Amino acid sequence: MSAQVDPRRKEKVNRYKAPQNQGQSGASSEDLMPDYMNILGMIFSMCGLMMKLKWCAWFALYCSCISFASSRVSDDAKQVLSSFMLSVSAVVMSYLQNPAPMTPPWAPTA
Amino acid sequence: MQVRQVVTLLALGCLVLGGMTSVVATEDNDFAEFEDFDTDDEFDQPITASTPTIGDSKSAQPVETPEKQKIAEPVIGKSDDFKTDDDDGIVEDDDNEFEHFQDEEEFEGFDAGDNKDIPIDQKTSEPKLTVAKIPMHFRTHWDSYWMEMLMLAGLLAYFSNFFAGKTKNARLAQLWFNTHKGLLDDNFVLVGDDGKQENENPGLMKESESLYTLWCSGRTCCEGMLVELKMIKRQDLVALISGLIRPQQDQVHIKVEMTRGVMDSFVFCVGSRKTITKVFKEYADLNKYCSLVSKPEDRYKVPAGFSVLSEIPEATSAMLEARIITALNKYQRYIDYIHISDQFSGPIQQEDANNLKQPETKCMLMAGFNMPKSVDMEAIKPLLILIFYLMERLKVYRMSKEGKSKAEKNRLRVEEEFLKSTHAARAEAAAQRREDKRKQEKERVLAEDDPEKQRRWELKEQKRQAKKKAPKMKRLAVKSL
Repeated sequence: MSAQVDPRRKEKVNRYKAPQNQGQSGASSEDLMPDYMNILGMIFSMCGLMMKLKWCAWFALYCSCISFASSRVSDDAKQVLSSFMLSVSAVVMSYLQNPAPMTPPWAPTA
Repeated sequence: MQVRQVVTLLALGCLVLGGMTSVVATEDNDFAEFEDFDTDDEFDQPITASTPTIGDSKSAQPVETPEKQKIAEPVIGKSDDFKTDDDDGIVEDDDNEFEHFQDEEEFEGFDAGDNKDIPIDQKTSEPKLTVAKIPMHFRTHWDSYWMEMLMLAGLLAYFSNFFAGKTKNARLAQLWFNTHKGLLDDNFVLVGDDGKQENENPGLMKESESLYTLWCSGRTCCEGMLVELKMIKRQDLVALISGLIRPQQDQVHIKVEMTRGVMDSFVFCVGSRKTITKVFKEYADLNKYCSLVSKPEDRYKVPAGFSVLSEIPEATSAMLEARIITALNKYQRYIDYIHISDQFSGPIQQEDANNLKQPETKCMLMAGFNMPKSVDMEAIKPLLILIFYLMERLKVYRMSKEGKSKAEKNRLRVEEEFLKSTHAARAEAAAQRREDKRKQEKERVLAEDDPEKQRRWELKEQKRQAKKKAPKMKRLAVKSL
């Protein structure tokens, strides 16, 4: 099956162009998971902070973990970091305000 | 991205706000807590020392005085005025230490009845609270924090899985690269490029923890080849769990950009039925040019479970010749799809009326392969050879005249469709341009201080308007007849 003559051509070398490749073919098939998780984490963080829902704050922390795990190398690290900071502070704040153990959302509120 | 940054900023702002309110809240809470503790102390106090109302001033120790006063504080009143009065009381002499309790003027605004109630309250609740001693502090009860423990354990599990999965993916990718490196070196001048000025680390590029890419270039009849190793997201525990429900596989996606003119113009795709139905909807070229071949097993002898999308039957049968069919049969479980197109423009773009340019097309040869579940990478090495074979085949294969004219017709048809769909937008754009031009001219004329010129321009304009209206009238007249 292999070619008999040497198929290599030095003059045909093209350097790798990342942005074009991504924009052309990977636009829709690109993994949107980190973006979704980032947004979701932010929403949960806000819920945790504003409504003092501890489970929301914890969920936000998980969301930012998933966002971190599936983020691209080329992605902005600041995004992930800020999402992490926000969720961690949501957890910390909610326990500072009320150090009582978490009540799950399905449990009746005391 | 910008929107997200704005959201982040907003969030941080809210966080600061939240922090401030929380400080206020904690202060309130703290006060409430102290209140509780103080009352406890207060109830403990009578056991060791005599109650302040009964005890005379001489028996009272000077050290105890502030305590006692503190005791009285929350019970008697929360008013700040009263507190400051109390503070003053500390400085007073021992003798008249409790005088202010008897002084009616000190309790102006307070109910006299309240004062009398206090000792009674203390006496009644005294035995109950000595049993309780110290309030059961929740901090000592770690059991009640089981949910938090669970969350932390989950985080720990997530991160340990993250590191384990990450290393496994890296190992698999490196294994694929090592296995195929010899073959790639035989075919390409440049193997592995990171796109930087100096090729710093030739080899696999890590896009994310589950996606590795490899760029190869410098081969006859192609511009370059991009290999994408799409692994299962082993680093993400949630994805792993969802993979239990919908199993996934490690995949290799190869995209070869063919040199324009090397291959004849046709679009063709073969692959597993599931993938074909997906890409048929997803990719613009397949959607516009191809049709699904019915009974491909009989017609082209492809293995069962495979579907074929074909534009020009003669090209399809030329591509699916005996050798390829043998390879398809042999590596059926590893082959996901093979897609050949001279009109590849990526996924279908959303209908945008303002988009007046047809998307750029490329000659592409693409393929998706599943990686073997075992670590036996040699098993899929022939698939890369298959790609090189297809490239050579595309180079030498020439369609008949009929086929070529059919392909030409198809491309014209698609272009016409596109032009038709954007006709309204293009007409609008042209009208806009005309209007702008006229406006500019008018401004230019008005700017000049020559009334004669202005008058002439207005006359011209009127004539133009009349001319514009005239044919319409005529047409109407014809219609009415």
